[in-house]
Amino acid sequence: MSAVRDVVEVLARALTDQPDQVQVRESQHKGTTLVELYVAPGELGKVIGKQGRTAAALRTLASTAGEKEGKPVTLEIRDGKP
Amino acid sequence: MADATEPIVEFLNRFTRALGVNSAVDVEQTPDGPRLNLSGGEAEILARHRGEPLKALQHVVDMAYGRALPDEQRVFVDALEYRKGKDVELRQMAKLLADKAKQTGLEQQLGPLNPYERRIVHLAVAEVPGATTESIGDAFSKTVLISARK
Repeated sequence: MSAVRDVVEVLARALTDQPDQVQVRESQHKGTTLVELYVAPGELGKVIGKQGRTAAALRTLASTAGEKEGKPVTLEIRDGKP
Repeated sequence: MADATEPIVEFLNRFTRALGVNSAVDVEQTPDGPRLNLSGGEAEILARHRGEPLKALQHVVDMAYGRALPDEQRVFVDALEYRKGKDVELRQMAKLLADKAKQTGLEQQLGPLNPYERRIVHLAVAEVPGATTESIGDAFSKTVLISARK
């Protein structure tokens, strides 16, 4: 289990009205951790927020989790299913 | 009141567990709302980068749980009392500048402040007799002007 993936999942589940629709995929690309966050259609606004402030907060906290593993993190936010 | 706090405490515990940080949540109920402090040495990771992770966590908590609180209450998320320490510093600085404004008759101001920080300055100066405050600046950068009461 990865801290980055788990952290993004916990945060996204708290922010959305349909937490069971939240899915997070993680993959490694040349020393960078790519995290793809999928939320229910129509709930993108909940995880992006006004002027992207919530998305920025998610990226900050995902990076904090990545810091423990010494890896930079890229977070992509998408709706629907992987 | 405790009912509204409980889900937030549970969320913070899920968050620290996911992060792999060994910490506990200390709850303090104040008239302004619950203050939640993450204690335990490993919570230090949230106070790095000038507390940016803490600000991000505060934002997520506001978005997810802010509306569940009664009236004007607000949750305050902290780690190792890092933000509390910053607030105490800001209060002291505001009072110092209020005294200076009274002695010199010159207006004093701090650097750009966010709404939360401006509130702290207003409240701190209100405790200094003979000093008054006013928020100035535009939407992008505001601060508080501290002056002697005329």
